[in-house]
Amino acid sequence: MELQKVITPSPRSDLIVEGIQMISGLLLVLFLWVHMLFIASVWLGATSFNALANFMSRYGLVWITVAFLVVVIGSHVGAVVRRIPKQFREQRIVWRHAKLIRHMDTWSWIFQSITGAALLALAIIHVVVVTYGGISAKISSTRVFNHFLIFYIVLLLLAEYHASVGLYRIFVKWGWVSQHRLHRVLGVITVLTVGIGAVSLYVLYTLGAHFA
Amino acid sequence: MASRELTFRILRYNPETPDVKPHLQDFHLNEEPGMTLFIVLNRLREEQDPSLRFDFVCRASICGSCGMLINGKPNLACKTLTKALPDVTTLMPLPVFKLLGDLSVDTGVWFRDVSLRTESWVHTDEVFDPDAAEEKMDNELAKEIYEAERCIECGCCIGGCATANIKPSFIGAAGINRVARFMMDPRDKRTEQEYFEVVASEDGVFGCVGLMACDDNCPVGVPLRSQLAYVRRKMAVAGWHMGRGR
Ligand code: SF4
Ligand code: SF4
Ligand code: FES
Repeated sequence: MELQKVITPSPRSDLIVEGIQMISGLLLVLFLWVHMLFIASVWLGATSFNALANFMSRYGLVWITVAFLVVVIGSHVGAVVRRIPKQFREQRIVWRHAKLIRHMDTWSWIFQSITGAALLALAIIHVVVVTYGGISAKISSTRVFNHFLIFYIVLLLLAEYHASVGLYRIFVKWGWVSQHRLHRVLGVITVLTVGIGAVSLYVLYTLGAHFA
Repeated sequence: MASRELTFRILRYNPETPDVKPHLQDFHLNEEPGMTLFIVLNRLREEQDPSLRFDFVCRASICGSCGMLINGKPNLACKTLTKALPDVTTLMPLPVFKLLGDLSVDTGVWFRDVSLRTESWVHTDEVFDPDAAEEKMDNELAKEIYEAERCIECGCCIGGCATANIKPSFIGAAGINRVARFMMDPRDKRTEQEYFEVVASEDGVFGCVGLMACDDNCPVGVPLRSQLAYVRRKMAVAGWHMGRGR
């Protein structure tokens, strides 16, 4: 072994960063799903949505969620930036390579860094708007109705895409399930969550129209 | 039936004449029954351009010297039938490896370097006794080891790998597969910590981003996806043990 490796404190650092990337990613996926379910409470009407929102703010759950997101998103971003080609030269090589070998999964890697960066920006806006603007059936639906419909559609699609590709990658890398089964299961889950989110947005939109 | 006229768009580059920029040159040829790229390239060299450079030895998917990008996909030229190709085919050398000229690359130096870095030999203190009866190995295990050994070092999994393209020190799927072969072998007495040093870094299995271009492109079907996952899991366990001070 070379000196620089002998004197670097942890030989396990690469494993640990890999672990952080995976665990934070899994937590975010889990969060996303729970989030979609919570929003879906609006299907039952404004009252149940309000009840849930009140419950969350009464016990400080909103701020706990924000803190959770800051920590988890922060570590996820911190762990994955090492994978994004930093030098311009490397960027060019990756793009050329993806074009040259025409391999779908290689493209998905490039998309993963682009959607990731976009998600980071959108998620920050979303969190800031929601925590300062407040959550209630009236506020949220008016928000969706007035300005944010497109924003939320984009956010929903990007998040679902990024999450399912990321999950797929994790399972393939660790070899936990067969690739074929994985495609199907993830496909179903993605359609389901996008569907739930879309219906929630529709309900919120009509509710917003009603309030307006 | 009239035979198709095939067009081959081949990358031309000679490192000895660097002022001639790398470019694609078109060649035309009539297709024949049972034609492979091996036949195509040899005919082109004989009949059209004696300066065309490419490698073949066995022409039977055994030696691994004819790996190239065929319409972008890494594959062996000798096992590619023109029947399976469109009218226009682009041929490029494999990336990552040293380009010797046109379609010819030097995979040997790269693989030798990886063999040395991964210490690809059985590590044991036992002294070999030529008179003793050979030790038996479980048949299932022998078969698994053989699966990994089927790698012909063609480099298709390396040229197709995005990570290997940007990181020269990455040992790639072939390198990780090689380490897996020794991990499975009970005669190799390396501890999991010793293996950890060899492959559990960004240059080894934790540098892999799991795009599976390697697995999708291996022309002899080495089960690279499961080999990568096997090494990854083993190394995670080893890391866990090291963390607990064992
Ligand atoms: S693993 Fe397959 S693709 Fe890679 S070098 Fe060996 S034979 Fe070629
Ligand atoms: S799975 Fe890993 S080794 Fe295989 S092509 Fe992708 S990054 Fe390279
Ligand atoms: S010439 Fe030996 S593998 Fe193609």
